[in-house]
Amino acid sequence: MAISREAYQALEDIVGPENISEEPAILDSYAFQWLAEFRQHGSKFMPRAGAVVLPGSTEEVQAVVKICIRYKLKCKAHSTGWGLYGAPITENAIQLDMRRMDRILKIDEHNMFAVIEPYVIGATLQAEAMKVGLNTHMIGAGASCSPLAAATSFQGAGPDSIFMGSGPENLLAAEWVMPTGEILRTGSLGSGLGWFSGDGLGPSLRGIFKGILGACGGLGVFTKVAVKLYPWPGPTVMPIEGTVPAYTAQLPENIRAHTLAWSTWEGYADAVYKIYNNDIGYIAHRQFIMFGDELQAAVLKILTDTTRTLNDLEELLKKPEIQKLSEEMRRSFQIVLVGMTPRDIEYQEKVLNQILAETGGWKIAAMEEPTMAGWSLLYMIKLCFKNLNYVYAGGFHDAMARAGTPDLVTSGWMEEMREQKRKFGKQGGIVNDGGDAGMGGVGTAGGGGYNAFENFILYDPGDAASVEAARACNVDAGHIAVEAGAGGYNFFFMEKEQVQALLAGRARPAIFQWQQKIKEAFDPNGVGDGSYLCLDE
Amino acid sequence: MGEKKEELIKIVGDNNVLDDPETLDSYSSDYSFVPSRKPWFVVKARNADEVQRIVEWANRTVTPLVPVSSGPPHFRGDTVPSEGGAVIVDLSEMKRIITIDGKNRMTIVEPGVTYSQLQPELAKEGLRLSMPLLPRRNKSVAASLIEREPTLIPKYRWLSADPLRCLEIVWGNGDKMMTGEAGNFASIEAAWKRYFALLNPRGPAQVDYYRLVQAAQGTMGIVTWTALRCEKLPKVQKLFLVPAKRLDELLDFAYRLLRFRFGDEFLFLNSFNLACILGEVADVIKALRDELPRWVLILSLSGRDILPEEKVEFLEKDIADIAQQFGLRLISSVPGASSGRVLEAILNPSKEPYWKLGYKGGCQDIFFLTTLNRTPEFVRTMYSVAEAQGYPASDIGIYIQPVHQGASCHCEFSLPYDRSGQVEVTKMQGLFTEASEQLLKEGAFFSRPYGFWADMAYNKDTQTTMVLKKVKDIFDPNHVMNAGKLCF
Amino acid sequence: MALEDYLSDAKRCCRCSYCKWIPLAQVKSWRFAKGCPSIAYKNFHSYSAGGRLAVVLSLSEGRSSYTDGLLDVVYQCQMDGSCDVACKICRYHMEPLEAMRELRFKLVEEGQLLPQHIPVIDNLRKEDNMVMKPKAERGKWSEDLDIKDLTTESAEVVFHGGCQLGFDEELGKVARTAVTLLKNAGVDIGIIRGKEENCCGGKAYDMGYRGEFIKYAENNIEAWTRAGVKTVVTSCSDGYFTFKRLYPDIGSKFEVLHTVEFIDRLIKEGRIKFNKTIPMTVTYHDPCHLGRLGEQYIPWQGEEKKIRGQIVVYEPSKPRNNGAGGIYEPPREVLRSIPGLELVEMERIREYAWCCGAGGGVREAYPDFSYWTARERIEEAKSTGAEALVSACPWCERNFIDAVNGNGDKMKVYDVIELVQQAI
Repeated sequence: MAISREAYQALEDIVGPENISEEPAILDSYAFQWLAEFRQHGSKFMPRAGAVVLPGSTEEVQAVVKICIRYKLKCKAHSTGWGLYGAPITENAIQLDMRRMDRILKIDEHNMFAVIEPYVIGATLQAEAMKVGLNTHMIGAGASCSPLAAATSFQGAGPDSIFMGSGPENLLAAEWVMPTGEILRTGSLGSGLGWFSGDGLGPSLRGIFKGILGACGGLGVFTKVAVKLYPWPGPTVMPIEGTVPAYTAQLPENIRAHTLAWSTWEGYADAVYKIYNNDIGYIAHRQFIMFGDELQAAVLKILTDTTRTLNDLEELLKKPEIQKLSEEMRRSFQIVLVGMTPRDIEYQEKVLNQILAETGGWKIAAMEEPTMAGWSLLYMIKLCFKNLNYVYAGGFHDAMARAGTPDLVTSGWMEEMREQKRKFGKQGGIVNDGGDAGMGGVGTAGGGGYNAFENFILYDPGDAASVEAARACNVDAGHIAVEAGAGGYNFFFMEKEQVQALLAGRARPAIFQWQQKIKEAFDPNGVGDGSYLCLDE
Repeated sequence: MGEKKEELIKIVGDNNVLDDPETLDSYSSDYSFVPSRKPWFVVKARNADEVQRIVEWANRTVTPLVPVSSGPPHFRGDTVPSEGGAVIVDLSEMKRIITIDGKNRMTIVEPGVTYSQLQPELAKEGLRLSMPLLPRRNKSVAASLIEREPTLIPKYRWLSADPLRCLEIVWGNGDKMMTGEAGNFASIEAAWKRYFALLNPRGPAQVDYYRLVQAAQGTMGIVTWTALRCEKLPKVQKLFLVPAKRLDELLDFAYRLLRFRFGDEFLFLNSFNLACILGEVADVIKALRDELPRWVLILSLSGRDILPEEKVEFLEKDIADIAQQFGLRLISSVPGASSGRVLEAILNPSKEPYWKLGYKGGCQDIFFLTTLNRTPEFVRTMYSVAEAQGYPASDIGIYIQPVHQGASCHCEFSLPYDRSGQVEVTKMQGLFTEASEQLLKEGAFFSRPYGFWADMAYNKDTQTTMVLKKVKDIFDPNHVMNAGKLCF
Repeated sequence: MALEDYLSDAKRCCRCSYCKWIPLAQVKSWRFAKGCPSIAYKNFHSYSAGGRLAVVLSLSEGRSSYTDGLLDVVYQCQMDGSCDVACKICRYHMEPLEAMRELRFKLVEEGQLLPQHIPVIDNLRKEDNMVMKPKAERGKWSEDLDIKDLTTESAEVVFHGGCQLGFDEELGKVARTAVTLLKNAGVDIGIIRGKEENCCGGKAYDMGYRGEFIKYAENNIEAWTRAGVKTVVTSCSDGYFTFKRLYPDIGSKFEVLHTVEFIDRLIKEGRIKFNKTIPMTVTYHDPCHLGRLGEQYIPWQGEEKKIRGQIVVYEPSKPRNNGAGGIYEPPREVLRSIPGLELVEMERIREYAWCCGAGGGVREAYPDFSYWTARERIEEAKSTGAEALVSACPWCERNFIDAVNGNGDKMKVYDVIELVQQAI
């Protein structure tokens, strides 16, 4: 079903014919999404949009939203557009692709913030920030993602959150085209005073659009934001060495990567607390476990050796030293220490050594070897290899998510979630990775003290049986996550009735009735596509 | 009126509904220029259920409520009723420290808990909270943080309202909600059981509710407990003073340290403010003011857990090196002040009377957010308005506090005056108004718009005003909460 | 392989958009972070490798059909392989470039021809060249050259001029110089003189005309075999890719060298010596077909299998063409060895170089897009402070020269060979 000619013409008049399309193949390239298969009964296609529009300015976005109101169309924007949540969840909506709005408008070197548009990605912002001795928080989803989207619309934490906070913590002023077509400029920006504060006048209105999860595109469009930046006492351009794809970075002495390990979860938890209490670490994350506890060492070997492929996996898995390394990495995480000065790095390293001594931990020797350390360093600082979590067959999902205090790992849950997934892995429908691919967890909030894990379910989206197995594992995990107070964005995989039941079943369903009230006040014409969750009265 | 009183007595008990003239008088005005107005009653709530029932009652009877958590004196006009027939909801008796979780460095406190009450208890667990600058002894911790008052350690201010984390709110319509990660659970205990220490303030779900009560002056609802993230109590702490003749001499140095996140307590005071902090009475303050360096950057270095001495030692060396690059000196005493005395002062609530009142008995503060690089301009503006109005520049206290890890800073001018003489009051009112307007015109962001600043600030941002009204209509549909404040 | 063989790739695409950027590890600035000209110019997601894989799936599921819009999506792309390198940083079983090629083959086989390409292919069929010239004009560059004619003689080495060098009067000197240098260095070299030289077929292949490619490949292989050739040398990177990576599938066993490789070898062996200084700062553009696409051909036939439940591997192990084995150092070594010459690098180099804009039938069908792509590269070259942009492919050089001239830039454009000659 096409949108009306009048509506299409009106949209075309705003952005020009070269920036709007209703060509079915083009619309399908937008409907095609990672994880769509879970929602769309195996299909990779989300509901097809009525048209895709590429706005070039805030004014164009505003005009498009007003046209959507006039013609009773749903409207949803995405930045880099990765994941099913970027696509409208209703047919015939107007998909806004923000990629023409890709400028870094300002880097305030002194006050350490950048003003960016939606299609600036982590990699480009980081590159520009490093030129002036600064860095940007990189969300866990990696360098190809939009810091604006992370700060306004989705979750926004990452491996560096311990030092650099999460996207929403870093959000200063924002420019928001509300679903009414009006523009709200939050904080100091609204008074025409610049971007340095996102709060006030009085209450902080950004609370409306960003909680633990953002509105996922369901409540207007963000066209510019300011995000805080952080110190980078390293080279202004990262010196990259090595052969594709095994690039590495050899950095100065004040920047170091280690993989730390413990033989018990208690030791691990104690160390995380001590890191929290001693303000050390620039990046700290249980990263490489994402390949699975039994496979991680072998996979790292493959990834850092350009002569190897996944075909070498089985042979490597048989090697005692590889098995030993995987076992050693079972309760481990990666940490990057960055010293602002030589004394700082020396101090941090000493503190880390003492923490390890006090908690029975150690630095894994194999990960200190220069090639591996350089690769790890590059991985962690740039999050440029993030999509290796698709390396096995192209599918991953992180439904088995849970957050909490550092001692969550001692609760028995790590083993439970491992066993729970291992069961599915043994059946063959998902990758049999050992069970624990629980990435995350050293500091998911600025300063640390709060951890979140995502146990990856790795599957083949090109194989219907594997998709079905992953979906079943996901449902199983989803229940447990909800019970634990998590639950993330699983609602995207459900029909409206199921979503309502999910919300009603929460310990405090009223929060979604509040969202309903907010929705009525801020989106009275129903332009949003339903990604802002509301519980019907 | 009698019926109303009866209803209130039913909720909080006979002793907690006050309407004697003396009590009502004490809530009818404060040190601000907000017109005085007597409330009908003062009710002292003792727990969240009572608060909720009071708010429900106010909705039924459309009675204005004015929440108050801190003891007097008040300075901002936010606790003075703007409408007739208001009921003050005094939360200062809600003084429970619900928990101190040493391991996770969290504490949960009711709104009546003060810094002077809380800090010693935290210290027993090896913790402390980053303080605002010498709060009153009876200042509510919750109120201070909910109003986004600055605290002294910018590096721990990940969020603009840090260390504020989860809250329990009774909204203006009477609904009670736990915010942040607590909001996913039926109770605090249920959250703890699932390994949530109430550290994550975001949400629940897709709204950051706790942001909507921030700097709201009680217009959205009443907060009945706050979860706060604490710091480890330093084992070693050294304070340094970096003196300068002009503020701008300190800024590049300060920016470098803020970037490196070096230093804990980190604030700029001019000589008059430091004198007020260290001195007791006007003569002493005057003498100190003249002796002290014109500007001081106060910088504390702390070692908290592992190798605390080494940490302070390396920081001291590094910062001294950096100071040298900028032609500055990191020293432990300046004429008129030693680091020990300053440290003692800033780590504690104010002496009595409140430190801003020692000089002349009254004080008006003008404060706003800006960026550090712009502060010298605002200082010049303040001086020039003061000069034009015949107010001595040497009596202006200046406090500049980087917040949100240095992304912005709180800039505060304190203007002492004698409240007993009408002429001086009128002159101060003129200076206060003129300076506020001039600063606004030059780009000061009155992010917490108290009193007459509200009209001034909201007129400059009509879209925020419109949206805020929408939010107010959602959470306080009958507008019972502190009517007449902000833009409501 | 057929398009159907890439349906699992299509489903396995995670839509992450790595294909739109240079490898993220290599991003050095906002300005020069983009890798794929097609999406950078057209903006709709479908103009990326990921988008085209979605189109493949959409077509296969009957959700969309052939339209002019779809042809535009498929053909407004230089097939430069930037997407392929970026994708394979994290993906070990995706072949986005191959899938895009198969999509073109399928369109051509089913008669869905891009109108702008039809006269070009007609001319190829009639005149054996891709530059819309009469066959008789081919080979002017070699008319008075004292060199073996391999239509009648035999030699160890054949130099293939190719369509661009063969017809472009300005660039013909590159071929002359190359052959002369090699001959003077004692190489037993010859050419298929004049109009007897054929198109390599590579461009037709990139445009989706597999049949034409096979025809020319067979003709060329036959001619070289007849002349006793062991090694094929060319200064054309398109030709190099075609001979090295595509011909082996048709049975070619010749050693294939680009002249920069040969010259590099001769310099190192002392058979070419420089006696002039060239005081110039230059930057080098890696032609896609010499760089990331210029890897060794490794035959593979096998099938996919799964281990550990769902990990995709191949039986036997499948070679990874991810740009690692491209020809990057020889041209740089040659430039570095020229006295006085300073080589400065652009941000996007080697396997993640930005395309010149000429490939994939884009120059022929979408001149504005082609010109824009070249302009982007010239801007990048200018940002290095270099006086000259040097390359090793006449298609790149022609596109750059046109873009420089069109904009009145002062940037000079050279082939590596030209600088070598100047220094001798």
